[in-house]
Amino acid sequence: MNAPLIEVRGLGKAYPKVHRNADRLRSLMRLMFNMRDRDRIDVLRNIDLDVLRGESLGLIGENGAGKSTLLKLITGVLTPTSGTVQVHGTIGALLELGAGFHPEYSGRDNIAMAAALYGLDGARLRERIPEIIAFADIGDYIDEPVKHYSSGMVVRLGFAVVASLKPDILITDEVLAVGDESFQKKCVRWIEDYLAGGGTLMLVSHSMYHVQKLCRHACWLRGGEIAMVGDVFDVTQAYLAYHERKSAAVPERAEIARAGLEFNVVGVELNGVDSEQPLMLESGANLRIATRVRSRDGRVPCLAIGIVRADGTAVYGVSSEMDAVAPERSGPDEYHGEIEFAELTLLPGSYAVRVHAMDSEGVRLFDTVERGIVVRGASREFGLVRLAHRWIGVRDAKPAARAADGADA
Amino acid sequence: MQVARLTLRFFRRELRNRFAGSFTGGLWALLQPLVQLAVYAFVFVQVFKSRVPGVDAPGYVPFLVTALWPWTAFSEAIVRSTTAVQDNAALIGKVALPREVLVVAVAASSFAVHLAGFVAILIVLAVAGDGVHIAGLAPALLLYIPLFALALGIALICAAVQVFVRDLVQALGQIMMLLMFAAPIFYDSAQVPESMRGWLAFNPFTYYADAFRAVLLHHGEVGLGRTAIALATAAIVLLAGHALFRRLDPHFEDFL
Repeated sequence: MNAPLIEVRGLGKAYPKVHRNADRLRSLMRLMFNMRDRDRIDVLRNIDLDVLRGESLGLIGENGAGKSTLLKLITGVLTPTSGTVQVHGTIGALLELGAGFHPEYSGRDNIAMAAALYGLDGARLRERIPEIIAFADIGDYIDEPVKHYSSGMVVRLGFAVVASLKPDILITDEVLAVGDESFQKKCVRWIEDYLAGGGTLMLVSHSMYHVQKLCRHACWLRGGEIAMVGDVFDVTQAYLAYHERKSAAVPERAEIARAGLEFNVVGVELNGVDSEQPLMLESGANLRIATRVRSRDGRVPCLAIGIVRADGTAVYGVSSEMDAVAPERSGPDEYHGEIEFAELTLLPGSYAVRVHAMDSEGVRLFDTVERGIVVRGASREFGLVRLAHRWIGVRDAKPAARAADGADA
Repeated sequence: MQVARLTLRFFRRELRNRFAGSFTGGLWALLQPLVQLAVYAFVFVQVFKSRVPGVDAPGYVPFLVTALWPWTAFSEAIVRSTTAVQDNAALIGKVALPREVLVVAVAASSFAVHLAGFVAILIVLAVAGDGVHIAGLAPALLLYIPLFALALGIALICAAVQVFVRDLVQALGQIMMLLMFAAPIFYDSAQVPESMRGWLAFNPFTYYADAFRAVLLHHGEVGLGRTAIALATAAIVLLAGHALFRRLDPHFEDFL
């Protein structure tokens, strides 16, 4: 329904390797005589991305994933090595700290220079200076050189300048993290108004809270490539789950000859599906776990079922022995049991179901099989599970700012 | 339009930079050349007893001034703007802007400061009746146009190369010193031995030294042919400098 404001096609960026001074001279010669530099480090590869008018896109990813590089390519600070970037509209960018302020000059001078860099002429600048100074709210520091500013003040000033320009596209790189609580709130409120007024946002942040609050879509960069792009909740959950898995760092268990065990798990079905792929579940859906255990000596096993978060934090665990039930015999030396969790209250995110085979007494653990599940849904609640709750002595206060969110599909 | 406005703003910042923290501010721009003039007058005229050969030759002080001030503007513009891109690495890394603006602003500020000093000195010399033809001021100012184009062309090349090869600015100081003594600034072309005089023409500044003296002191003359060559050289160097700068510009960020 509307053309993209930013079109990124097959974008790639590689930096030359410059270890020694001789490399710099060699690079210069290559550039002058139009030769390709073979010795390069790829930081971005094959990025395709569209940002529509009115969209709010969060860029997430680990350090060094290429987020800042992508923003710099879009703002035109960097030149792509391959591919193209097309921008149809004015960009207001806050890349890292400072936004290009000169440390020796006063805040007021830097405002004037920044405004000139964004193409504001003298008259319009004079009109807006009081507004900028009021927004930055740094008091008498406005006439001090920027080198005497705290990093928070620099960000305040930078944000104030960009805010006053009311650009078509606002690009910010991890700037909210620096300001203090009240300024962060001010910025968030400003961005919400800006989005409600049809503004377009690209935000880099390591705070999933900010990303989820301000963006409706997210793009996850991993190792210079797009790992996932889509609805902000899906992408941030996948990203967080990835981190949880990474930090869990499960030590590689030596593969035991499972067949020789007294009890071993031979089949696990989640909602009737036997697959190594994680099961997608809607928040509040039912989860049915069917288990088959082989018993070497034909004795009745005890089934233990647990749900853990992707990083290994236990959410809930229960065994057949605890509930005083036993699996049914389903073959010569096979037992079968099913458990159902109705209306699962797990919050959106990635989890794993662990099925353990234990001896009849529920004392010794013989085998474990793990299956992933992903609970989908849009929720900004914290934690692992939704606890039953109700508010008392409150009134209805639905926010109006996100009302304009229906602008595009 | 926006580029012009931006250039003007950087130019003003550059000028303010030069006089930042001094009481006299802009006045210093006029005071300094006069002090310098007094020093040269003492050293060259009183100590070295330098004279310009010839029957109705001008005094040594106006002779020196008419070539040395344009040279100062020329060489300072090149040396200072060589680091213009490198010095603004922080800005270039955060804001998209036409980088030529930085070079133009620095080069223009050097010319502005030394042009003001030049005019001030010429007026002082003319009032003192030292053989300066003040009517030659208008053509002298016109001469600054190709001189600036030449300086800017070289500055664009140096500023672009400096990003990659950081030794350039050190070497440039020495090269400029060499060029200064290899141009008829402290001496007259006629004083150079016949066998070596031809080499002087290869110094791009030789034409300007001679031309400034021709219009301001009526000392020697430069002819249309040399003027045409000088104008063409200035235009070609400026275009080449701009082309090279443009070619390397997309890669600055990778090397800053």
